[in-house]
Amino acid sequence: MRLYHVSKSYMAGQYALHDVSLEVRRGEFVFLTGPSGAGKTTLMELIFAAEQPSEGQILVLGRNVARIGAGAIPALRRRVGVVFQDFKLLQDRTVEENVRLALDVIGTPRREARARVFQMLKSVGLQHRRFHHPLSLSGGEQQRVALARALVNEPEILLADEPTGNLDPELTIEIMDLIVSASTRGTTVIVATHDHGLIDRYGKRVLRLENGRVVEDHPAASSSIGASA
Amino acid sequence: MSRVLMLIAIAFGNALRGIRRASTTSLLAVLTIAVVLVLVGSAALLVENMSGLLDEFGAELQVTAYLEPGLPAEAQRELAERVGSAPGVEAVLLVDEAAALARFERIAGGAELLAGLEENPLPASIEVRLRADARTAESLAVLTDSLEGLPGIAELAQGQEWIEGYARAVALARGIATGIGIVLGLAALLIVANTIRLAVYARRDELDILALVGASRTFVRVPFLLEGTIQGLLGGLVALLVVWGAYELLLPQVRFGLELVLGRAELHFFTTVESVRLVLAGAGLGLLGSMTALVGAGSET
Repeated sequence: MRLYHVSKSYMAGQYALHDVSLEVRRGEFVFLTGPSGAGKTTLMELIFAAEQPSEGQILVLGRNVARIGAGAIPALRRRVGVVFQDFKLLQDRTVEENVRLALDVIGTPRREARARVFQMLKSVGLQHRRFHHPLSLSGGEQQRVALARALVNEPEILLADEPTGNLDPELTIEIMDLIVSASTRGTTVIVATHDHGLIDRYGKRVLRLENGRVVEDHPAASSSIGASA
Repeated sequence: MSRVLMLIAIAFGNALRGIRRASTTSLLAVLTIAVVLVLVGSAALLVENMSGLLDEFGAELQVTAYLEPGLPAEAQRELAERVGSAPGVEAVLLVDEAAALARFERIAGGAELLAGLEENPLPASIEVRLRADARTAESLAVLTDSLEGLPGIAELAQGQEWIEGYARAVALARGIATGIGIVLGLAALLIVANTIRLAVYARRDELDILALVGASRTFVRVPFLLEGTIQGLLGGLVALLVVWGAYELLLPQVRFGLELVLGRAELHFFTTVESVRLVLAGAGLGLLGSMTALVGAGSET
């Protein structure tokens, strides 16, 4: 994943992101940090084509997101899993149905989809809750469901925007361990967080944003780095 | 199951889920379409039957020559033969006084009406049936000119004016029915469009999530299109049942009235093909309404 002089402006002269250039390699784990309004969420939105940059180029999985047509966005998003602070689960669907959404949109046969969802829920420890509705789950469990949905398609990139923002410290570690384990299986991971304790605990690469600019790019204490994602 | 079939099954599932979730607004859309199609269907049925009667009358367009009172039977027969050889005539039927009375009694129960009269007041007549190629205003004029001079004929009566008036009435009814259909159809379209638009609004969280996980535009839109189509289909079915019920209920009275006035009444309900068309018209309205809603729904869909 490469960004070349990327800027995003919602109003003339005011930048949410300003001249950001960076590279994230395949399988790399990156913490994106900075104060509120620094541009973390905007950066994430640009990567999964929820927004278009005002200037610059963004290469994600071989596609230039800055020039991507509307018809090509779904195919890109099937290769990018996304997790949010507020889980974004459908309350009228069961845990299994929520996770299966990512497989339904590509027409995965029902039997295969159920098997894959079961395995995914098992890996996040929620297979016994698959017929429950999200509201009957704890916050940590709901985030695990959201994570399962993001990962069930075996995406090449996982974006997590404050995934532990609503969770207590114990559940935070639980969710982060699951995200890190996805990374160890080869998925490129970017996690936006305010939580410095978390950043210190995992010792991964840290990109710090302030006022829409990258002000710090701190390498991982130890990491395996491959080709660009 | 192939991926395409799976996607179709999912789209149907999502459409039915949408209808269940917004059951009140869906019911409103179904009833609106039903009301529109009941009105349009009833008008179409009326026009259809009126046209049928017009065709029957057209096929049997005839001139009636009323004979002078007291004309002997032999003279009546001779006159009928002469009339039969006139231009454009296919066949003639001599109806003598007794036959005219019998016909009146059969149609109008005239025995009581005429019981007080000492004499039969009905004249003898010759009913002239025209050849198909002579059922024009010009041919009719030539025929009536040639008959008017014949001795023994008191009066000529022709149904053309009545038929022309009836044809105008049918055309008017058809025009009114079309107008009503268009206006009410547009109203139904807007209501279905608003129903679907509300559904899109109510499900925007779901649409956001679908977009996040890579749902294509088709995957998102098709369930809404199906939803409108299903609503329209149900509305069409309800309308067909209502029109059929009303037809069965009113048929005896209408048939009695028509037989009284016209001597016969060959009325019929929609054929199977016409019934299917009515139901499909509902589905089409629903589909169009959904399409209208999605065009105006913006980036979410």
